Amino acid sequence: MPDGTQKTRRIPTFNTLARENAFRNPPKEGSTYSILNEFVASHLESFNALFDDSGLPSGDGDGRGLLSLALKDVGERVAFDGDGKVGSESGPDGWGNRMRIWIEQVTVARPMVPEKDRTARERKVFPSEARERLTSYRGRMTVKLCWTDISGQRHEMPKDCGLLPIMVRSVRCNLRSMSSAELVKHHEEPEEFGGYFVINGNERLIRYLILPRRNHVISLLRPSFSNRGPSYTQYAVQMRCVRPDQTSVTNTLHYLSNGSAMLRFSWRKQEYVIPIMLVLKALVGASDKEIFEGVMMQDYENTFLTDRVELLLRSFKMFTMQTGEQCLEYLGDKFRVVLNLPEDWTNAAQGAWLLKKMILVHLETPREKFRMLLFMLRKLYSLVSGSCCADNPDSPQHQEVLLPGSLYGMIIKERLEEILNGIRMGISMDVRNGVAVDFNDKRYFQKIVSKVNFDIGAKLSNFLATGNLVSPTGLDLQQASGFTIVAEKLNWQRYISHFRCIHRGAFFAELKTTTVRKLLPEAWGFLCPVHTPDGSPCGLLNHLSRSCRITTTPLAVAHIPALLAAHGMTQVFTPKIDGRKNLSVQLDGRVIGWARPSVAAQLATNLRIWKTEGKHEVPLDLEIGLVPVSNGGQYPGLFLFSTTARMMRPVKYLGNGRDDQVGPFEQVYMNIACTPEEIEEAVSTHVEHEPTNFLSILANLTPFSDFNQSPRNIYQCQMGKQSMGTPATALQHRTDNKLYRLQTGQSPVVRPALHNTYAMDSFPNGTNAIVAVISYTGYDMEDAMILNKSAHERGFGYGTVYKSQIIDLKDMRGASKLTSAPTLHFGLANDIRTTGDNMHTCLEFLDLDGLPFVGARLSSGDPIAAYVDDTTGRTKFVRYKGDELGYIDEVRLLGSDAGDTELQKIHITLRITRSPVIGDKFSSRHGQKGVCSQKWPAVDMPFSESGMQPDVIINPHAFPSRMTIGMLVESMAGKAGAMHGLAQDATPFKFSEEDTAINYFGEQLLAAGYNYYGNEPMYSGITGQEFAADIYIGVVYYQRLRHMVLDKFQVRTTGPVDPVTRQPVKGRKRAGGIRFGEMERDALIAHGTSFLLQDRLMNCSDYSTAWVCRTCGSLISLGYEDVTLGEMVVGTSKTLKPSGPGGEYCRVCRAASEEEDERERQALATGQHLQRPQADITIPISSQHVLNRASKGGDLDVVAVPYVFRYLCAELASMGIAVSLEVR
Amino acid sequence: MQSHDDLEPTVRIRELKKDRVNFVLGNVDLAFANSLRRVMMADIPTVAIDMVEIEINTTVLPDEFIAHRLGMVPLMSSNCDEAIRNTRDCTCLAGCSFCSILLVLNVGCHDDTTMEVTSAHLDVIPYPEEGLETQDSGEELSKRGEYFGHPVGKNEPGVAPILICKIRKGQELKVKCVAKKGIAKEHAKWSPCSAVSFEYDPYNKLRHTKYWFETDERGEWPTSDNGKEEEPPRDDEPFDFNAKPNKFYFEVETDGSLGPQEVVMKDFSNFITTAGSSRTTDKIGQPHPRTQNTTRG
Repeated sequence: MPDGTQKTRRIPTFNTLARENAFRNPPKEGSTYSILNEFVASHLESFNALFDDSGLPSGDGDGRGLLSLALKDVGERVAFDGDGKVGSESGPDGWGNRMRIWIEQVTVARPMVPEKDRTARERKVFPSEARERLTSYRGRMTVKLCWTDISGQRHEMPKDCGLLPIMVRSVRCNLRSMSSAELVKHHEEPEEFGGYFVINGNERLIRYLILPRRNHVISLLRPSFSNRGPSYTQYAVQMRCVRPDQTSVTNTLHYLSNGSAMLRFSWRKQEYVIPIMLVLKALVGASDKEIFEGVMMQDYENTFLTDRVELLLRSFKMFTMQTGEQCLEYLGDKFRVVLNLPEDWTNAAQGAWLLKKMILVHLETPREKFRMLLFMLRKLYSLVSGSCCADNPDSPQHQEVLLPGSLYGMIIKERLEEILNGIRMGISMDVRNGVAVDFNDKRYFQKIVSKVNFDIGAKLSNFLATGNLVSPTGLDLQQASGFTIVAEKLNWQRYISHFRCIHRGAFFAELKTTTVRKLLPEAWGFLCPVHTPDGSPCGLLNHLSRSCRITTTPLAVAHIPALLAAHGMTQVFTPKIDGRKNLSVQLDGRVIGWARPSVAAQLATNLRIWKTEGKHEVPLDLEIGLVPVSNGGQYPGLFLFSTTARMMRPVKYLGNGRDDQVGPFEQVYMNIACTPEEIEEAVSTHVEHEPTNFLSILANLTPFSDFNQSPRNIYQCQMGKQSMGTPATALQHRTDNKLYRLQTGQSPVVRPALHNTYAMDSFPNGTNAIVAVISYTGYDMEDAMILNKSAHERGFGYGTVYKSQIIDLKDMRGASKLTSAPTLHFGLANDIRTTGDNMHTCLEFLDLDGLPFVGARLSSGDPIAAYVDDTTGRTKFVRYKGDELGYIDEVRLLGSDAGDTELQKIHITLRITRSPVIGDKFSSRHGQKGVCSQKWPAVDMPFSESGMQPDVIINPHAFPSRMTIGMLVESMAGKAGAMHGLAQDATPFKFSEEDTAINYFGEQLLAAGYNYYGNEPMYSGITGQEFAADIYIGVVYYQRLRHMVLDKFQVRTTGPVDPVTRQPVKGRKRAGGIRFGEMERDALIAHGTSFLLQDRLMNCSDYSTAWVCRTCGSLISLGYEDVTLGEMVVGTSKTLKPSGPGGEYCRVCRAASEEEDERERQALATGQHLQRPQADITIPISSQHVLNRASKGGDLDVVAVPYVFRYLCAELASMGIAVSLEVR
Repeated sequence: MQSHDDLEPTVRIRELKKDRVNFVLGNVDLAFANSLRRVMMADIPTVAIDMVEIEINTTVLPDEFIAHRLGMVPLMSSNCDEAIRNTRDCTCLAGCSFCSILLVLNVGCHDDTTMEVTSAHLDVIPYPEEGLETQDSGEELSKRGEYFGHPVGKNEPGVAPILICKIRKGQELKVKCVAKKGIAKEHAKWSPCSAVSFEYDPYNKLRHTKYWFETDERGEWPTSDNGKEEEPPRDDEPFDFNAKPNKFYFEVETDGSLGPQEVVMKDFSNFITTAGSSRTTDKIGQPHPRTQNTTRG
């Protein structure tokens, strides 16, 4: 200021203007909130890694993409034109000419407009188009198929593999590296971060899945192993070995009770076990001595070990195979039938191939595999002897993540393999069937190829759309479905948490034991302890902690063995290593040397210093797992991991104050202080960057969560995801099935620091409400809350539901199956009068093109579209089916891919207004949910001295048992923040016992003229009298949850009934009833309220009256005579047939009586009727003149029975069981 | 307390501003004071837009939001009692010049900047002639002020209008609104007050309440400004359990549709007319015991 006075300007804390400016003018470079791109990085980068031009660091490899690596691993298939009969004309060994077939190159293009369309000027297709047109976002995939002819000449042909779904914002996406401004231009959110696929207009993503840690031997103790066969025990060691192309093979080494071990692997979903000795010998042709020394490692005093190894060696004697070659031939011979390798390969070659492809596939050379197998054996024996414990496969220490891109690549690889197998099969089928096979004829090859399904794109679309994995090998995964989920944009919180969720596996969901669901201390910092759903997926569906990331790039570690050797590690090939004194040093499941424990510890420290300081080119993401020697603990060693798909998180290394990345394997043996104050000298190795880093993003957003009882924070993580909020800002470009939107979202006064970091204010999720904690009207009992009617009228919690309706004329009745000439067209035919006085009523809603007006107000049954049927020439209407009032918000005309067909499909967004009503659910951010029970008039609401009236009243009983002190603190902080215009920082762990939150906000409140603890004297709105107690009132951020009565209420007086039982049907949609079940029945019986019981179970259900025969008691033998003619029906014997007054009779009894009658008559006629007591005179009197006789079969009564009872009687009758009722 | 039963009720205005009045009401009892508060909040009629006919709406906001926002705009409503009828009491079928006011809003944006549609764009238009004028001989029209029914602040310089919607080039909003008389019991938009503060007994001498405190009552409970008006209690003062509150501190803040003095005056008169029917000779503010509970306006 010129006059020297300081103009005091407060620093804005809500940043409203800055945010508005950023929203209106999105940055032209980069994005508004770059952190949002970081947390989906693993999704994107793992997808990018498929391609050669991924832009990721190459590590030790040549930087080729996973697809290229997969092609290398797939190799070639060989087909022959001979049938293998020796001596036939096709060559000496009968196989004839050899054709090699392989795929040389896979290319995936960016999504483009098809060539057919010549009018489009922008050839690129963007995700918003796929979303709005309800199609998939796909790019063309082509392969280069190569084969050789008889002369060995190489031929190639490009082959189209269909349209492959492309991950949004990946390297193949047209939105790649767009700035916020460009994204907005392409109808995306300015914060769009991608990581998902668009399939049929839905956003679907591949969920992270927990897998066993790759290339690391874990020891297992499973009682179920002993059921695998005779002499199998519960002990095993297992290793999930991963090839460079991310496909994996699990090798399990089982301990047998006779001391030997069996190696198990699976090939095409079939499990095979091989004696370990066979493998050891086949690999390097090892002598018995070599194996003995390799396992013993000079520990000759260990009789346990010597006994076992002796047994192991002895057990192999019965195979009588001495050399490695013999073993290979034996293996090849046995596996020849299943492997489907070229028929001209020798057994030894097939055996070698098996070892290469199935045993320890992460290792290249047989010698390395041999060393690793010896290590596995040692670990197995150590486990059996009890000198080391079993590893916990449920602990994140032994887990890694299945990345979306890796899974995608695996499926593509398998499909490519299947294509090659298909071609080979096609040729051999032709050979077998005697079809002319000519390898020199290009057309023949083309004919074979045309029979094979090349459409990989459709397969992957199906995979993404359903989440079902159709695979002949099972991809070494434990489940075949549930891989993909829809990224629901219910609100922003739900949306972003999809990208951070990580599932344990569908297999574990069915497990009865709950051990897998346990929260383990090893998960600290990697999986959020708070953010997991309650209910069935609890503990199985976790979310990554905020700072946890998943490595996606391979590291350059080729120089590490030499580096370690230079610093004291014994080289791996050194003979005579003392296993008692040396620890194994392994890098990614490869034994690279040995070191004494002290040396190993020193090496680990050195590596950590080097990697944090960037020396010796040790990568920062290297995981240095030093397992120290212990008594019966985890098997010791120095295990280094550099591969992808590991969880890592940043902490600070105390040794040099640098940033470090730690993984779950090494973290177990570290001492990481949560705060700088907690650092203990000589104990702590690391310190957290932030004490809140172990929480997930959502858990971090709960204000003052450290004040709450922990389950309440879990509930809030659930409810935050269910609240009505702002799902997207590009709402007019969304076609989601159902979107919930809160009209008056606000920025919370009280929010943790991360609220800003994660752009939560761009997608507000609730409103700041004045909340009084008072038991006021009785309508706030049992978690109900009272809304201020005036606040409601001013728009508190006003929400909108957007629903989609798709009208596709192809699916309508009368549509022609031919795509070329549709018979249905949108529009009005001549039968609709469009002008004049008696204009058709549909014109209130529809325009002349048959499409609805935007803004039209619809109630149930109103037309929303009209179309003309060519065949009848009449107009048909599509009607609005919802029960609620809806408005047409948007009408979208959907064309075909090439844009050259007539309009057949429209998408309508309906807007349904949802003002809060009694019964709608609200919650604070502390797991305190409640239902609105009344809208209370403002004059009757309690008020404070300053005239403030609460928007919401909640009952104080909501607090004592739930202990959500965070909500009380939020109330205080919100009140102070509102008075002073401050956004209050609610980050947990900011306050301490000495510096309490209560005092901090109490001072602020006092400064604003309020009571220190947030209480206020309040007055009854009805009498004006001051309440005897002062009331806790403050500002709390309230969320409106999506559960609304309008979607849930179910009432019925009368309505549809089940045709069989005549009982009311169930189901809200069908206007059904709510079952009055057994327990409810019990209650009525216990109360003795028999009238109610009768009413519920009989009168209001399937009450019916039925004729029951008094004679035989049957309910189901009713017959009717037509008595309207006023005549008695006379039977064949001229007797009057017995029937009731209405002509009803019992068919059974009448038949019986007629039969008896007939019999008596005949007896009378033949004079054999002698049994009767003899009368003096016998006069044949017709039965109609005998009293009481006629009633037989006609004596029926009406009783009230449940209709199902009759049904039951009929069913029983069909089984030959008669039900007889006694009528009194 | 027989002593002030005989006293006349007093109103002492401490502060009167354009949109607020601060006064002390004395020598009345609690029920009366609270009734005044309630009447001010919910029973003073004003006019507010009640029906919106949307002709063109190409803004980003849907029709119902616009209608809601228009309804919340305060309209000048002075002398509402005489200047306008309730539609339900009117002889007309669905609205006439005696019981409603027509406002139109017709805005389109034709340049590249974002345009703000505000309450200032709302114009009152005369009711179209219906030919019924002769039958109805209401004198309401003559009682209306110059700006009756106009949005608050429209004709005053320096008052920012109320934002209704923002539009960009090519968007348009054309609506016809019908404003009607109503009270806040029906809908909050008809409330002339934004807040009514109400206090008595700042030192809690009557012990109606109990100030909860952790350690120190004085330190944790700041006294309100109204404490200056009364003697702080001496520590040895005996508790007078017969005492009744008789001094009430009010502050009424309006939304501008009515002036604060009009709200309060209307409040008193309204109260008298409604309560008066059952009252005979009692003085204002000391209702007859029989009528004490029936004074809800």
